[in-house]
Amino acid sequence: MKTSVLTLAAVAATALTGPAFADKLDDIISSGTLRCAVVLDFPPMGSRDADNNPQGFDVDYCNDLAAALGVTAEVVETTFPERIPALVSGQVDVAVASTSDTLERAKTVGFTIPYYAFENAVTANEGVEMSTWEDLKGKTVGATAGTYEAIWLEGKVKEWGEGEFRPYQNQADVFLALSQGQLDATVSTVEVAEANVDSGNFPGIKIVDKAPMVPDYVALIALREDQGLINYMNLFINQQVRTGRYAELYAKWVGEGEPASLVIPGVYR
Amino acid sequence: MFDTALTANDFLFLAKGAGMTIFVTVIAVFFGTVLGIIFGVIRYQIGPVWAAPITFVLDIFRSIPLLIQLVLAYAFLGTVLRLGLSGLTVACIVLTLYTSAYCAEIVRGGIEAVPLTLRRASRSLGMTWGQDMRNIVMPLATRVALPSWIGLALGVMKDSALVYVVQVTELLKSTQILITRLQEPLLLLMICGAFYFLISFPVARFGGYLEKRWSND
Repeated sequence: MKTSVLTLAAVAATALTGPAFADKLDDIISSGTLRCAVVLDFPPMGSRDADNNPQGFDVDYCNDLAAALGVTAEVVETTFPERIPALVSGQVDVAVASTSDTLERAKTVGFTIPYYAFENAVTANEGVEMSTWEDLKGKTVGATAGTYEAIWLEGKVKEWGEGEFRPYQNQADVFLALSQGQLDATVSTVEVAEANVDSGNFPGIKIVDKAPMVPDYVALIALREDQGLINYMNLFINQQVRTGRYAELYAKWVGEGEPASLVIPGVYR
Repeated sequence: MFDTALTANDFLFLAKGAGMTIFVTVIAVFFGTVLGIIFGVIRYQIGPVWAAPITFVLDIFRSIPLLIQLVLAYAFLGTVLRLGLSGLTVACIVLTLYTSAYCAEIVRGGIEAVPLTLRRASRSLGMTWGQDMRNIVMPLATRVALPSWIGLALGVMKDSALVYVVQVTELLKSTQILITRLQEPLLLLMICGAFYFLISFPVARFGGYLEKRWSND
């Protein structure tokens, strides 16, 4: 009787302490699979190829992380609102899903250092003489009404006191107007600008410069308490930049040019 | 309208999704029916008072939306018990229990529809309980229960669309993936609807055929 109670106690103790010692990083390595939440309707970060397999910057990033851990990657498709619930309910281990590192979200989940930053680019009609973003001064510019870049552009036009700002209903209208010469220049995210220039639907436009707006920094997320995993991923992101893989993925999915700097000037981390 | 970016490859992808829908449905309906018969017979046999615990559990499966059952079961089995089951396994387990809860009611209703006097007569002829169940109750109850059971099977087939929440890519999820990529929702939803129809129509017709055949003898 005594032994069975002791055995029972030992079993109970192992059951209780077992999960507490092995942290998430150990769990991932021992399970042999890294489950990443990726948003697959957000090209070029995540989409599906002609065979309906996941592809994109985030998908490659997840595969790289899995390779670094020595496990296989499993891409779990989520939508933007489902990213954090999927993580919290244990359906995924990490989210590689272009998540902006807001303080509000950091109350729920743990963020790594930024692994990508969405910058804004100035795109101009080829017939317009422009070399830097400051040449926007005095030009006829436009953007999709109500967006972050439209508010910034309109503010600049007001500040300069010359030139004209025209709001449009959607992004396609802006680029059509730009291609037809109704607009001299516009500002949009680099990814949208690259995609529109590459698509060939809007002839006669070129990317001039990056706009000096604060980039939208995005980070990998894991559960808040999984500090060991977050620590590992911070180093992983550092290595991705150091080894040139970051620039390689940028060239593969976004386009030519320098990828956004992940260093925020004037502050640690 | 016929100018579409849909390729043969995508059709194959949809067919794979349809295959998954059929697989999950067949598993759930088969095991759900077996469990449903067991639960239904037990409930009838031991009376409403003693069966209260079973009734209560089955009522839980019938009253909580399937979507919530799937998410909670996946989170519980995966995060709390750390069983490491695949989404497909969880989907099959939950859908089976869900089916069995409905099936138990159908079975109970079927058994209750057999006149008690007839069963007493069979026992008076010296039949054992098992013989009575097999030779008297089962043939009669099956006839009564068949239409509801066919309805249940078709319902489960359509409800299986919800297993996408546990990462099972069945027919509707495959369609949504294609819609996201090709931006042709109307065409794709029509194709998806046609697939569902192709799966359920034969089942419904087979049910009708059995009903007709059995009603003659």
